[in-house]
Amino acid sequence: MNEQRKDILGMLAEGKITPDEAEQLIAALERDQPPVAASSEAGPKAKAKYLRLVVDTIENGEPGRVNARVPLQLLRAGVRLAALVPPQALTRANAELGKSGVPIDLTQLKPEQLEALVEQLDEVTLEVDQPDAKVRIFCE
Amino acid sequence: MMPQLLTVRVNRPEGRAIRIWVPVLPVMLAGSPFLILAALAAAVACLVYRVRVMQAFGTGWRLFCALPGTRFDVREGRTAVLVSIR
Repeated sequence: MNEQRKDILGMLAEGKITPDEAEQLIAALERDQPPVAASSEAGPKAKAKYLRLVVDTIENGEPGRVNARVPLQLLRAGVRLAALVPPQALTRANAELGKSGVPIDLTQLKPEQLEALVEQLDEVTLEVDQPDAKVRIFCE
Repeated sequence: MMPQLLTVRVNRPEGRAIRIWVPVLPVMLAGSPFLILAALAAAVACLVYRVRVMQAFGTGWRLFCALPGTRFDVREGRTAVLVSIR
C-alpha cells in the first residue's frame, strides 16, 4: 500500500472525509498510476535457451529425421575455446585458409566477438526447402 | 550445473529397443583414477603447446557444465537413435 492511499484511509478513520470522498480519492489515485501488470507483460520476451536443428529427409522412399537441440550456453562456453588455440596453430590455419581462397585472419577473431555473435543467434531462423529434404535451424 | 544423467536409446528395425541410462556422477567417481591421469596428460599437453593450464581446465569444465539440455534424435526409417543429456 502506498503512502497516499494510507493518508486517505487515515483521514477516513479520523472522520475528516466521508467514505464517498475516500472512494473518489482512491479512484483518482488509481487513474494517475500506470498499470503495473501491463508494463511487466510488455517487457522484453524471454531469451532463447536452445539452438534447434531439424532435418527431414526422404531417402529411398524412407523418411529420415534429425532433431538436435544444443543449449546456447554450450555455444557460449565453446567460443571460449578460441582463446585457448595456440598462436602458431592460428598462423598455420590462416595459411591453409589463404591457400583455399578464404583470406580470413583468425588471429583477429576475439572470443568477445564470437560471444556477441552467439548472443544474436536467438533471432536467427534458417529454412531450406528442397524436394527431398527440409532443414530448419532456429532458437527456442 | 553439471550433467546428471545421460540417456541413450536405440530402436532397431527388428523392433527391439535398447535403453541405457548413465548416471554421470557415479561413473565419474568410478573412473576418477583415469580422469586424474587424463587431467595430468591434458596439463602436460597444455604446457607443451603453451596454453594456460587453468584457463584450459576452466573452459573445459564450463563446457561440461553447459551440456545439460543437449539432445540428438536421429531417425532413419525404423531405426532411431536418441542421445539426451540432463
